[in-house]
Amino acid sequence: MARPDESHSAPPRLRRWRDWTEIRTATLFVLPVVAVIAAFVLVPVIGTLVNSFYRDVTILPRRFIGFDHYRDLWASQSFRQSLWFTTMFIVASVPLELALGMIFALLLDVRTVVRGLMRACVLVPWAVPAAVSARVWQLIYAYNHGAANWLLSNLGISGQVNWLGSDVGAFAAVVLADVWKTTPFVAIILLANLQAVPRELYYQARVDRANFIQTFFHVTLPLVKPGIIAALLFRTIDALRIFDLVYVLTGGGPGGSTNSVSLYAYSYYLNGSFGYGSAASVVLFLMALVLSILYVKLGRFRAEGA
Amino acid sequence: MIFQRRRTSAAFGLCAAIVLISMLASLFVIGQGCGNRGPRSLVLAVGGAPSELDAWESLIEQFTSETGIAVTLLRQPTDTDLRRQGLVTALDSRQSDPDVFLMDVAWLGQFAASNWLEPLDPYVEQEVIETEQLFRQVVDASDRYQGRLVALPVYVDGGLLYYRKDLLAQYGYDAPPATWPELVEMAQKVQQGERQENRSFDGFLWQGAQYEGLVCNWMEVAGSAGGGFVIGDSTIKLNTPANNEATTFMHDMIHRYEISPRNTFTEMKEEEVRLAFQRGNALFQRNWPYAWPLHQADDSPVRGKVGIAPLPSFADGQSVSCLGGWHVGMSRFSDMKDEAAQLIAFIVSYETQKLLAMELGWNPARTDVYSDEEVVAAAPHLAELREVFEHLTPRPNLPYYTLISQVLQRELNSVLSGRQSSQDALLSAETQAQKIMEQYGTP
Repeated sequence: MARPDESHSAPPRLRRWRDWTEIRTATLFVLPVVAVIAAFVLVPVIGTLVNSFYRDVTILPRRFIGFDHYRDLWASQSFRQSLWFTTMFIVASVPLELALGMIFALLLDVRTVVRGLMRACVLVPWAVPAAVSARVWQLIYAYNHGAANWLLSNLGISGQVNWLGSDVGAFAAVVLADVWKTTPFVAIILLANLQAVPRELYYQARVDRANFIQTFFHVTLPLVKPGIIAALLFRTIDALRIFDLVYVLTGGGPGGSTNSVSLYAYSYYLNGSFGYGSAASVVLFLMALVLSILYVKLGRFRAEGA
Repeated sequence: MIFQRRRTSAAFGLCAAIVLISMLASLFVIGQGCGNRGPRSLVLAVGGAPSELDAWESLIEQFTSETGIAVTLLRQPTDTDLRRQGLVTALDSRQSDPDVFLMDVAWLGQFAASNWLEPLDPYVEQEVIETEQLFRQVVDASDRYQGRLVALPVYVDGGLLYYRKDLLAQYGYDAPPATWPELVEMAQKVQQGERQENRSFDGFLWQGAQYEGLVCNWMEVAGSAGGGFVIGDSTIKLNTPANNEATTFMHDMIHRYEISPRNTFTEMKEEEVRLAFQRGNALFQRNWPYAWPLHQADDSPVRGKVGIAPLPSFADGQSVSCLGGWHVGMSRFSDMKDEAAQLIAFIVSYETQKLLAMELGWNPARTDVYSDEEVVAAAPHLAELREVFEHLTPRPNLPYYTLISQVLQRELNSVLSGRQSSQDALLSAETQAQKIMEQYGTP
């Protein structure tokens, strides 16, 4: 903090000594945080990993079984189904959220009289707890007296639709509910990045007679790339862990077609099969880890290139 | 500058010290809170609707005034799965509380096999707990694990057919259906007529969502075709002709005969079924006895128009009703076992059972309460129920039943939604159940 000042007032040896005490003090201050992270992040992760190698059910004695759970997971059709659903959910929801989030961010960046009001409106879905919004969507999709079917009948289309009754319908319903809820999050991250773009660059582009689309792709996009990467990272990891929305909205149905990996793991924990549930959680953790590393690498590469 | 730097670091140090001290202090306070409970108190874990919890509060007060034993009520959520989760966490970590808790009949196998339940036989022998009057069949089918008595029924439940007396009479039927084909015929005819006035009217409502209730419904239809779980020493069979017939029939009620709505397999649980029936939107419903007092409430549109009967069967089968209900047990880790036994004795006593029947409409687990004059006056239908309760079919009493049930729920639900044929689903469920049995059936 007072570095330039110190450098000419203190002799070199003393400075080094003071640096050392500073490091020591800093370590001391960081230590509690490290301890908290270790206690609440590392211990559970390692514990789960260890547990996944045991047959750990409440009804039988605990026994080491090596990789058996992982083999069973791979052989289990319903686990593969949950992997498939989770992957498709990421593929369908994240790009949509990114595209819509970008559009919202650009709109919110425009200076208008009602900008404050617009920003507040866009943020509302993000502020609603996931379980509550899932319940609201459940009321929209409800077969009798649901808002969606009510709309259909008012449009003069006869016949009720059981929105959550087919694989495609339930999948689309979950994706739509998630996009509605998390697009504002992406919009806010991108908006923060947009606002950091120097206005002069836009004037410059206008001087060069660049049209709107050219400006977007050659000025805006490269400069908000860090924001895009951050939003992508957050959204992908969140989508990977999707639990509350499916738990409330579809319960994994119909016939297990919207069972996410975390819901799958949870159902085994609930039935007292902790070892197997742990193995499923470890798979989820590894997927999240790989994705994070990928994005971080990608983000750095892009940032250097820009 | 140096002076200032020292001041800032001193300020930082002070802040850190305050944070640390307050953290330690809060830990200490939390520790104190858990450690000292003042005079020792039993902990009873119960969940449910607010009215149910209030009834338990007043029961506990009565127990304390009779015995001098203090009891704390641990209020659990209403949701069955959350209640189980809370108990599993406490018991798996061998906590001494709760001492006494209520369990759904479906988890008894898991809890007993996990060795979490204190055997109650000694207390029965010492005549602390009296079990003479409890439904013998229910106790034998559910509460005994490897010969030991590990729980006692608090109330019994069984699936019933509810029908609209007025509508059956109006369309020229003088009795509820005895067989499934009769039910289909009546439902189709009445539904066709009623839909001209009320487009939301359905013939038959039942629980088809992907949850435990679906397995109960399936056991009843399958059982009435002579099917169900076929469990041997090391094998489990589900893909049998009778089960196939029953499962196909359940699918057909939705998609072929169209007497059950298409949201049966996405939305229909007990309350959804009950509410639709109570609004007057159905001819038949399959539900538990709890729906009866609610249908007879003053503000109920179907008050006085409802009858109950045993569920139908297939031509050569007989009616089957799935055993449900909640049971009370004692934790093996309890530090107040003698007092806990007294509380259990109190819960299954005549007076308590009568009170639960009168206040909450719970069906007593004691047969003698069914002939109590006051109870009969308040709930005349109990006499009919007693007959049904003598012949209930329990779910398999296996420690890993809930794992098998989870598989079956998923596969059956996929048949109802039309994703799979019943044969494929039953075969797949059988393979998975067999695998579970191999994994968890052997030590």
